[in-house]
Amino acid sequence: MCLGIPGKIVEMYGTEGLPMGVVDFGGVRREVCLAYVADEVKPGDYAIVHVGFAISLVDEEEALRTYEALKELDQLDEIEWMSEIGSGRPPGPAETPEG
Amino acid sequence: MKYLSEYRDPELARSLVDRIRAESSRSWTLMEVCGGQTHTIVKQGIPEVLGDSVELIHGPGCPVCVTPLEQIDRALYLAERPEVIFTSFGDMLRVPGSECDLFQVRARGGEVRVVYSPLDALELARANPDREIVFFAVGFETTAPANAMAVWRARELDVPNFSVLVSHVTVPPAMTAILESPDNRVEGFLAAGHVCTVMGWEEYEPLASAHRVPIVVTGFEPVDILEGIWMAVRQLEEGRSEVENQYARSVRRDGNRPAREIVSRVFQLVDRQWRGIGEIPASGLGLRPEFAPWDAEKKFELGGIRATEPEECRAGDVLRGRIKPVECAAFGGACTPETPLGAPMVSSEGACAAYWAYARYRGTDSAPGAASREGAASGTPGAP
Ligand code: SF4
Repeated sequence: MCLGIPGKIVEMYGTEGLPMGVVDFGGVRREVCLAYVADEVKPGDYAIVHVGFAISLVDEEEALRTYEALKELDQLDEIEWMSEIGSGRPPGPAETPEG
Repeated sequence: MKYLSEYRDPELARSLVDRIRAESSRSWTLMEVCGGQTHTIVKQGIPEVLGDSVELIHGPGCPVCVTPLEQIDRALYLAERPEVIFTSFGDMLRVPGSECDLFQVRARGGEVRVVYSPLDALELARANPDREIVFFAVGFETTAPANAMAVWRARELDVPNFSVLVSHVTVPPAMTAILESPDNRVEGFLAAGHVCTVMGWEEYEPLASAHRVPIVVTGFEPVDILEGIWMAVRQLEEGRSEVENQYARSVRRDGNRPAREIVSRVFQLVDRQWRGIGEIPASGLGLRPEFAPWDAEKKFELGGIRATEPEECRAGDVLRGRIKPVECAAFGGACTPETPLGAPMVSSEGACAAYWAYARYRGTDSAPGAASREGAASGTPGAP
């Protein structure tokens, strides 16, 4: 939860006034809020993302190294949360935004 | 120094280790604050390679671990209510409450959803106007900007069926509490790099000078930690007590300004209970009064829920660095990741989980009686 995961910003857009984008985390893509880095990023940049929010920028080499370090430490739990949202949840009337 | 070969950059690691050992005129006691750093330290065997030049004691930087039992019980109570969809980060699900955990509530039919971002919970609320969506807003300064934004947007987009159960804590007051405790042994800190990415390090400057402790903002990778230790040792040897930044590639002195801005608009400082530690004044973030309509504690009247922490679990001593996990009598016996007694055994940032995952520590002589528990060390390292 505290370390954040580096990913590559592949798309940027606004949703109801909030800067958002799509970030690729080692092959897993997720919508991420870019409000806290909006002034300094462009597609192709790498950012450290904490629970769905990009907080700081890193370069590509740093991003890849950090990702590997997190993997070795079993600290990629946020990626597990992403997959949990997509599957395995109990059936119910409610739907996540992804449908 | 047999483990040094495992480092990604063994030469740099070796030269840092050599410098730390050569420059330490006595054994210094440092605390690493962040649970991610604890995992690196335990995994890489850093205490072993440093020998007696530096003793590392593990700090309280595991947000899951310090969330008070009472707050977990409130989460469980909410998750059981039929009108509620309870949402949380994934690592809260297995944290034991007084009776059970969120996972068990879900198995019994309570609607508990893991979300990746608090904005997912907000969207869930907009998609389900007939349900109450509660989000468990936990964490240190690293998750505060995300949780603050969810509440900010709930007001902006007028989403009345969304609320947050807040259990936010902040790092500097915990460091102060450790320094002010009568049995404190900490002579220097490795501050948590990712917390400082958000907040910067201005808040640490008065702490360093008032208590005369070096504070080095440090990353979580092995070489980061060795460099942070070396910088702290150099300060101690030279009689300095300053804030230095090892993690310059990510941290700026004033942190992330827009993130800090939203955090301070949505949250205010409150006294907060830390699991196993007790109340620390002005150590938490609570919602400002103008956000009361989105405060689950107000909406659902949770004030009556009180809990007493089990005595067997020594999480408080572990989180304050008073004991190493292997010194807890329950470690590896009554308490394992499968049957955890306390949060430090289930959280990926918890010290007990780190000692359990990296099996060689279960058999070291770092604590009395640890060797006799080696028989229990058959689990796969890092197995979930
Ligand atoms: S080993 Fe288990 S019981 Fe002991 S302090 Fe850690 S979490 Fe608590």
